[in-house]
Amino acid sequence: MRDIQNIVSPRVTSPAKASSVKRFPQRETTPTRPKTSVQTSSVLPSLHPPRTEDAASPPPSPKPLPTTPAKSPRKRNDVAAPQVSPSRLPRALPSNLYPALNAQKRATLKALHEISVLPQGDSEDDDNTEPSANTAAFNQLRGLLTGTVERGEGNSCMVIGPKGSGKTQLVERAISTLPEAPIVIRLSGFAQTNDRLAIREIAWQLAEQTGQSLLPPEQDETVQDDENPFIEPNAEVAVTLPPPSHLLALISMLPTLPRPTIITLDGFDLFALHARQSLLYCLLDTVQSCRAVSGNRGIAVVGVTTRVETINILEKRVKSRFSGRIIRTAGLPLFDNWIGAARHALCSPIQDESECDWSNMWNASVDSFLHDQQVVRLLKETFTLTKDIRVLGRLLVATVIALKPSSPALSTSELAAAVNKQRYPPRFSFLSSLTYPSICLLIAAAHVRTSGHETFTFEMLHDAFQDQVRTSMSAPVTVDGGGIGMAFEKLVSLQVFVATASAAAGIGKEFMKYRCDADRSEIKDAVDKTGQLSLKKWLTKAQ
Amino acid sequence: MDRAVIHAAPSDGYANLGYELSELVASYPPPFVYVHDPHTTRIATTTVVSTLSTLRENGANIAFAHVNAVACFTPRLLYDTALNAFAGWSPSWEDGCANWIGPLEGTSQRFNESFDGFTHGIRAAMVERLSDLRLVLVIEDAQRLKENMPDILAPLTRLYELSHVDITTIFVSEVCWEHIRPSYGASHDPYYLDVAPSSKQEFYTPDDDSEIPLDPYTYHPVFRQLYTHFLSTTYSVCSPFTTGLDDLSYIAAATWPAFIRPVIDEHRRVAMELKEAHQDDPDAVPDSEGEEEKPLHTIVTFSAPTEDARIRLTRLFTPSITAALEALYPRQTNAITWANANIPAADLLSMHPHEIPQSLAKKVAGDVDGERALRELPRIAKFVLIAAYLASTNPARTDMRMFGRGPDARSKRRRKGGSPRKTSAKASAVKIPQRLLGPMPFPLDRMVAILGILLEENDADTRLSAPEYKVPGEYTEIEISRVGIYAQVMELASVHLLHRTSPSDRLEMSPTYKCGISYDIAFQLAKDVGIRLNDVIWDPVA
Repeated sequence: MRDIQNIVSPRVTSPAKASSVKRFPQRETTPTRPKTSVQTSSVLPSLHPPRTEDAASPPPSPKPLPTTPAKSPRKRNDVAAPQVSPSRLPRALPSNLYPALNAQKRATLKALHEISVLPQGDSEDDDNTEPSANTAAFNQLRGLLTGTVERGEGNSCMVIGPKGSGKTQLVERAISTLPEAPIVIRLSGFAQTNDRLAIREIAWQLAEQTGQSLLPPEQDETVQDDENPFIEPNAEVAVTLPPPSHLLALISMLPTLPRPTIITLDGFDLFALHARQSLLYCLLDTVQSCRAVSGNRGIAVVGVTTRVETINILEKRVKSRFSGRIIRTAGLPLFDNWIGAARHALCSPIQDESECDWSNMWNASVDSFLHDQQVVRLLKETFTLTKDIRVLGRLLVATVIALKPSSPALSTSELAAAVNKQRYPPRFSFLSSLTYPSICLLIAAAHVRTSGHETFTFEMLHDAFQDQVRTSMSAPVTVDGGGIGMAFEKLVSLQVFVATASAAAGIGKEFMKYRCDADRSEIKDAVDKTGQLSLKKWLTKAQ
Repeated sequence: MDRAVIHAAPSDGYANLGYELSELVASYPPPFVYVHDPHTTRIATTTVVSTLSTLRENGANIAFAHVNAVACFTPRLLYDTALNAFAGWSPSWEDGCANWIGPLEGTSQRFNESFDGFTHGIRAAMVERLSDLRLVLVIEDAQRLKENMPDILAPLTRLYELSHVDITTIFVSEVCWEHIRPSYGASHDPYYLDVAPSSKQEFYTPDDDSEIPLDPYTYHPVFRQLYTHFLSTTYSVCSPFTTGLDDLSYIAAATWPAFIRPVIDEHRRVAMELKEAHQDDPDAVPDSEGEEEKPLHTIVTFSAPTEDARIRLTRLFTPSITAALEALYPRQTNAITWANANIPAADLLSMHPHEIPQSLAKKVAGDVDGERALRELPRIAKFVLIAAYLASTNPARTDMRMFGRGPDARSKRRRKGGSPRKTSAKASAVKIPQRLLGPMPFPLDRMVAILGILLEENDADTRLSAPEYKVPGEYTEIEISRVGIYAQVMELASVHLLHRTSPSDRLEMSPTYKCGISYDIAFQLAKDVGIRLNDVIWDPVA
């Protein structure tokens, strides 16, 4: 115990110590949330790497445990510091609660890590009459995919929803709960920027999934008779890609595979930007002409996108082959849902036998945190700006990271700091920490803009700076030093000054044209923060 | 040789960064983290990497790759570097420095061909190693990705969902995410980690300086206290100009050997005296020749200098730190050269204060050479350069007013427009002198005409008498049409004092040039040949 106290001392100064803090709670003590058990039999691992799951864990309660106002004296004795009331977190944590705090931190971070799948858990517990949008979407998508897997249908649909509304999770969950494991090909418009790459990727993933033991040998023969170009009988992961001319033909072979195929296209709108949309055409054409012939298996194409009018950018021949099914997901519609999600994540249960009053104390502190006026205001403000729940996740992660035994409760000031840093961080918050010559150059740039010139050269700023030094006689900077030129280069490398034209031969470095990306108010803030009167005067001086 | 390395802890901002990152990576890291350090990215990267390796040493199940986007300027290089690190593979010379191929051995397929190959490679590396390994990809100087490989910027930020493994991408950069962010929301928002500016004067000392022939006692542990004082002096001198920790430590490393030198000299002197006293002592056993190699601290008790000496040293060396800042911060020279050029006189501390030269810092030859080379140009080349400078700076329409000479008043310049300042003040947008905007291109004919005026007014008296030229100005006309002038122009263009802006294969027009010298140099040259530059320049410097 002595060791532990040493390790988990409140003053964590070096990474080495910090890491040993985290090492303390073992992985098997991490609590589990009830999650639909993931059974991907595809070779690809699921989106979340498998973690040890405990099926017997109790379902989480979204609401905090009711805080019992009067604690039994026995529990009070359990706490090391007797002056601390058990229903509230003490100001500084007694050392026997350090493991509990660390476990709580870990559990909370885990929950926050998966915050975009939280809404499902919520809607089940809320006794609303109508199911949430995502539940309906899930049922619809699952029905569709089941049709493909069980009845060999060719289906296509599009999942549309704003950022962070759980689209990808939805698709993954629907695939993982199918009764029979299909071949899943996951494409992304961000990685496969043209059709050639996409088709190569299809071939590679197919080879990975069918080249392994999933394929019975006699079927292997038949497929080879069909000259199916992407099956390598002895290949483990190694893939021999078919020649490029065969690549499009590969898609039409998909229904002849031994198992049904599901193709998910993340960033569906980006595929529509490919030349002639030929990949989409081939895929959707295959889907449409998929017949329930014996031997043929189903194929489903699921597009995932945030772009609402994606269907309009499809070419006519592609659009006519698309089924037109659009499944919509939505983020949490109400602010109360947000608070609920936050509470759910923060109050993740920990498995800790010894300190049974920890969870009460913790839940009470979370409760008071979420009822704090300023916290509610900050979160509401965030909610009106974005409904992306991942932003909420980032805010809470930053708040939870700051928990230390010396300050074991969630603090409002940490949340406020996190809002500044994580929500939409200002681009030029660092200006005030720049050196004196840099700030002088910024002021000179602001004056150049005031005088009606958008672009400037180093010589112009230098000249203005020299003038100022001459007239004010107060600048502590020697103009001749290399400091001013280096300050300019620093600003360029920080991209506060942005070059308006690329460097051309014959133009000296000092005559390159730049424009200042920071606007006057940002420069003014920086100057105010430095608190130098001469600089302030210079900035406000009319020229 | 016990050269104890004096190390200081990194400042608060980096300690916080390390703490936050280790908390995150050890539990459930966000898929994409953005570390923004506008001050010293290198130290931020070092902090990140050392945090990760400490985590790994402490048993966390992670593997990480540190990729520098400056060094890895193509996607292939980036993929290979990352995959080698993930797979724990180091290319060896005997194998022909092959990269990791893993299960693709014997096939024509490679992991570095496309981003898809990269994700397959990551999965293969995972399969080869432990199953629940957590990968971390650290990309230093991530702003370079936007210029060099914009295509893979968005996929890299989405690596977690594209590769379907437990991987975290960490970008470290000096510019903020807004400048790099791909358009159309192609990437998720990162978890932001900012480094607070360092307010403390704590910086590193370079620990391996085997190339510098230093005195072995330069970093002796007994000077630790003095070193701390020295660092704070250095910080207070340099901090108005730079707060970058690596710049500060570079300057400190260059100045410290000179700073501590007098103290060591003092000890040497005392030791020498002691030795002589020993030799005079007839009882002492005469030592062998190895006496010279006898360590200093065994002869004399090695101690830190007194407070008085410290203050004296600080006062003596503060100007030299300023000089070091001016020479080393813009890297006009390097630390070793500077340190070697600035070894102080022997036994500085024992000197009388009046004997000590006022400034210890010596000017290190650098920029001065270029200027002198310019001053040594031939006289006619100087005239050509000045004429080119005027042609590049004065607007063409003002030539008549500046250089137009009537036959009656040859030597008197007429300037009808009055002061140019008055006219420019009336304009709506403030007119910026051409001198500040950079040189304009000019046709060669115009420059030659201006050269004629300059020669006529400033050079005519120095020529040999030529009675055959009767008409005023005829001699100059002949002079400027000589082939030597054109040869001089070509010569100057070849050393880039003039820049040819028209293509060299265009023959039908007068070639155009731009002047390549600055105002200061033009002013110096004009002084050399006796021209008052401000009189012939349209917008003179006040």
